[in-house]
Amino acid sequence: MEEVLYNVLGAIATFLVAFVVGMTYGGLNRKITARVQNRKGPPFYQNFIDTLKLASKKSAIHHGVMQHFGPAFLMVTSVMSLLIVPVLTHNQWFPNLNFHGDLIFLLYIMVFGPLGMALGAGQTGNPNSAIGITRGLSQMVGYEIPWVLALVALMIQYHTTSIVGLMAVQAQSGTWLMFSSPFAFIAAVMAMLGMFSYSPFDVVIAPAEIASGPASENGGKYLFTMMSSGSVFAFVKLTLYVDLFMGGADNIVILLVKTFALYMIPVLYSLTTVRYRTEQSIRWFWGWPSFFGLLAILQAVIF
Amino acid sequence: MMKELKEHIIRRVKANFTEAEENNDFTYDRLDFTVKKEVVPSLLLFLKEEMGFKHLSHASCVDWLEEGELELVFILWSPKDKIKVFVRTRLDRDNPVMDNMDNIWPQLHTYEREFREMFGVQFTGLEAPDEFILEDWQGPPPFRRDFDTAAYAEKTFWHRPGREDAQDVRETIAYRDGEDIPDFAKKYSR
Amino acid sequence: MINDKNSQKIVDIIQNWARKHSIWVLGYGTGCGSIEIPPTMTSRYDAERLGVRGAATPRQADVLLITGYLTTKTLKRVIRVYEQMQDPKYVIGFGSCTINGGMYYDSYNTIKVLDKYLPVDVYINGCMPRPEAVLSGFGQLQKRIAEGRADGAKQYKENLEWYRANQKKIIPNWVMPEYNW
Repeated sequence: MEEVLYNVLGAIATFLVAFVVGMTYGGLNRKITARVQNRKGPPFYQNFIDTLKLASKKSAIHHGVMQHFGPAFLMVTSVMSLLIVPVLTHNQWFPNLNFHGDLIFLLYIMVFGPLGMALGAGQTGNPNSAIGITRGLSQMVGYEIPWVLALVALMIQYHTTSIVGLMAVQAQSGTWLMFSSPFAFIAAVMAMLGMFSYSPFDVVIAPAEIASGPASENGGKYLFTMMSSGSVFAFVKLTLYVDLFMGGADNIVILLVKTFALYMIPVLYSLTTVRYRTEQSIRWFWGWPSFFGLLAILQAVIF
Repeated sequence: MMKELKEHIIRRVKANFTEAEENNDFTYDRLDFTVKKEVVPSLLLFLKEEMGFKHLSHASCVDWLEEGELELVFILWSPKDKIKVFVRTRLDRDNPVMDNMDNIWPQLHTYEREFREMFGVQFTGLEAPDEFILEDWQGPPPFRRDFDTAAYAEKTFWHRPGREDAQDVRETIAYRDGEDIPDFAKKYSR
Repeated sequence: MINDKNSQKIVDIIQNWARKHSIWVLGYGTGCGSIEIPPTMTSRYDAERLGVRGAATPRQADVLLITGYLTTKTLKRVIRVYEQMQDPKYVIGFGSCTINGGMYYDSYNTIKVLDKYLPVDVYINGCMPRPEAVLSGFGQLQKRIAEGRADGAKQYKENLEWYRANQKKIIPNWVMPEYNW
């Protein structure tokens, strides 16, 4: 009974932490981008104000029941992934509903969101949404290859398919997986650039070209849901990487430091690049990142 | 060299089109021919194919209200010899009809649509939709000189009162808000 | 206690604070005044520190900037865009062409007073207004939102017949749907 209570309250607490941290990271992204471009940007809590404004829009315009599927599926994906990924180790306030094989489960749950978005975008009938979704799903075909190769290499090398198992390996041997399987780390970080949809892989959003792709008919509360789920999902991805490659975190401060350090990679890279077209990004993903993924599998099999 | 080239061109044109009047003082770097409107397509073709004036720079229409005529002007340019040629015709103002010439240069298609909408010139054989820029326009052709746009605008649209007294905006706002115009800005106020 | 007027006022204060500090401008430049929008949004006269950023579609935008003259051809499209936006929405009239016709006061094709066709919240005068004037206009809009007076959308819904009569007078070929809020 106590365990159930801790689980339920812990789930709510995890969601709140993820929401707040994800939104703050989004605001920090805008602030850092602004400072690099030699101007003062918005305050770091700007994303909260944006979501509060979106939630207080008075009229709602929707095109049918299926349009609800888009943002709803995105939110469901984020929350489900959040509950699987262990946020803090050895803490009863942040339970993780882990089981054996949850790494494979996570692999296909993370793809769920854009598929729901495709259903919603089809219902709106806006051709811009359709183009945006097609590009997003094609790009996902690109970055899934190095991501899966890296994870499979990890699974082969350490004979376990659960995240908790990989964290236990790191705690036991004392070195992070970043150093003992470096090729997997490099391939996974390159795949992370595609997952975030920042430049150069932001052809999905493309504001001036296809009027922001999937989000073009969604305003008001739909956009609020999409922004929130985007922030939560960003937190989920960063925490997953920290757990897999950097040894997890014992308390909140270390978790924030590690995730922020990892978050700087997509942010700073996005400031310096221009947008790739869809076929160019797929070709890049099947080039060097997949090569590093194959090297990771070779290293796992041979050594 | 230029003068001989120009005279050569004038001679060739006059040999083939005997009715062409030319109006040239060689102080300007161009040649000028005025012809009747039936001759214009063949003259343009002759200048383009045989005399080397391959490039159509511009086509425009002038409204001679007092004489009751519309004048079409075509400006051609020869990239080899670097000479301009003006070809002018006059059309009757009450019923301006002209032949369609966009098989010589395709860009004349757009020019002819503009003349049809803005001046009312009819081109026989022009296949284009009726509307060019003005949507749902039911008045007279607006670029003619006897179309008074100020009176039309006064009649059709609602105007904000207060424009007639022509007050200076900066002074009025400063006076209303109790501010002071600095000295360096005073010389720009009327 | 939940439904009385004081708690409604607190909710309004919080909502207006959020709307004031995050204004999304639709990226649609209707006239020649929109050449002053890029300098305002970029590095030198940064408008993002006020929370102003560009939005891609009318469904996501708050503010419609009518920059400069409006021909009758554009007016038909602008009305359609305005009616696609979600409440609460604002219109800013940019430049002196929206106030009294500006430089094109005797043109046969442009409208002279924007107020008759769309409800306008703030006018910014100038031809074109400089970025400092634009930022001051946004500050004025923020003040109006905080006071709760920026209700152009409500005014449009209530006086729809009057606006429609004015619009149909100068647009002869009316192809818009008839709304009945």
